[in-house]
Amino acid sequence: MRTESTQRAVQVDDLEFFRDLAGRMNAAPERYEDLGWCDLDLGIVIHRRDQADFRALLRFADYSCVAVTEFAEEDEGIADCYLEGDFDAWAEMVGDIRAHGRATGRQTLSSLVLLGDKIAVRGKDPMGVDRFFRYAQSLQQFFDGAAAGAPVAA
Amino acid sequence: MSVVDVLGGPSWHGKPLPETSPAGTPLAWGWLSGTRSEWGVRAKPSTKGLTMMDIAVGSYAEVPDHPTRRTMAPRGADIDPDVPDMGYLVNDKAHVWAENVSELYEEAVARQWSATRDIPWGEVAELPEELERAVCQVCTMLAEVEMIAADLPAKWMWRMNHDFVEAKMFLATQVMDEARHSEVFRKRALVNGGGLLRARSGTEELLRTILQARSYVQASALMHLLGEGFVLDLFRQGELISPSEVEKRIFRLTMQDEARHVAYGTLHLRYAVEHDPDVAEEVHAALDEGERVLMAFGTQSDLTESLAVLLSGGVDDVEDKGFPLLAELQKKMLTSYLARCERAGLNRLERTQLPLELLGIDREVRVA
Repeated sequence: MRTESTQRAVQVDDLEFFRDLAGRMNAAPERYEDLGWCDLDLGIVIHRRDQADFRALLRFADYSCVAVTEFAEEDEGIADCYLEGDFDAWAEMVGDIRAHGRATGRQTLSSLVLLGDKIAVRGKDPMGVDRFFRYAQSLQQFFDGAAAGAPVAA
Repeated sequence: MSVVDVLGGPSWHGKPLPETSPAGTPLAWGWLSGTRSEWGVRAKPSTKGLTMMDIAVGSYAEVPDHPTRRTMAPRGADIDPDVPDMGYLVNDKAHVWAENVSELYEEAVARQWSATRDIPWGEVAELPEELERAVCQVCTMLAEVEMIAADLPAKWMWRMNHDFVEAKMFLATQVMDEARHSEVFRKRALVNGGGLLRARSGTEELLRTILQARSYVQASALMHLLGEGFVLDLFRQGELISPSEVEKRIFRLTMQDEARHVAYGTLHLRYAVEHDPDVAEEVHAALDEGERVLMAFGTQSDLTESLAVLLSGGVDDVEDKGFPLLAELQKKMLTSYLARCERAGLNRLERTQLPLELLGIDREVRVA
């Protein structure tokens, strides 16, 4: 159950949150070059209790996150695959990253989407969904960037 | 033509060229001119560097459906008409090709990793004995099955026409990937005092079925679509059940590789089905047998028990939590497999003998 305190603590339903992660990635390309490139359009869908869903498109190319933009529900289909879950699930995941310096236990992206009850990965084309798994380590490292301190501009 | 024979000897832009080598061998200088290459075609590097996609320019991008030669000479070269026959057996593009094969090759090269260097072995944690035994049992099985996906491409690569070199290059990366997978699971089994546990005949039965497939298309269906699809989902489970960052990193990195192999297999089979009307039935027949053997393998008690113990975090809750969660995950595995089959142009819903009803999968509902 989402509470006001968790919403204040982890503002995941905000473009600035994802632009901050993109900024961290783009500021340290050498950490991603070791993993290999990542070409993926990843949709983020966060269900909010009292507001419309938050939707963001993260565009990864080579070793960067080159764009973070919002998209409308009718534009679904623009991404290779989507990560979708309730606000509390996203907040819990980011909270775990901040508490431990990286995602742990069942709060890793791969674990969450395998169970699929909190955050699921979906897409119309299994090939698009498989892209999520082809870049799993890069994406986990991208989200683990939430553990860092002061925001970095994208 | 730049090599001219004006005064009885060859020259290059007016400069005379020798007619014999210092050893007295006649020199022809034919490569300087007169070849059928597309001189002047220039590939442009992309932001990644110079990729195989970037050099697919002009006639070099054309992959023949039925190559007339059986030679290792590079496609697009000016090839002697009397080159020896290498005895290739797979000479139809439809039986090897995938539209994404060059992209996957480049991705594989870019995303190589080291089982020695890139796993945080120093963080391996002391585990309760039942968990360590479960990890070791799963690793034993994976160390065994992973090399099939190296042996099988290696078995077929030298039989494939060299005009399909991009596909052979991709399969070469798969051989390396799978060698690394066998390495990393063997290392994990040995690093924490457990070691290798039980290897069962059911596993070998599955591997033999894949290895002895009669054609590459059947082999690819059994390995990429069925076997590696199953293992990909097993790696996904592995990431979930990992007791420490060591195992999580292992499963995440192996999962990336496996997803590439499955991506090749899925689009390879789609290409085959679309371009050869006989392929679909051939693949269905292979999968009929493969699914039967896979079920025997996937329900082996050593595997299911160890996975269930890891899912429940020990033996205490294995009945209440471990096995029910494992059943849920098995349902997801079969759903994923059927979706990939459909993406490959193979509707298995009406044909499969997999126990879909037992797992709560409705055959009437189209798999998405």
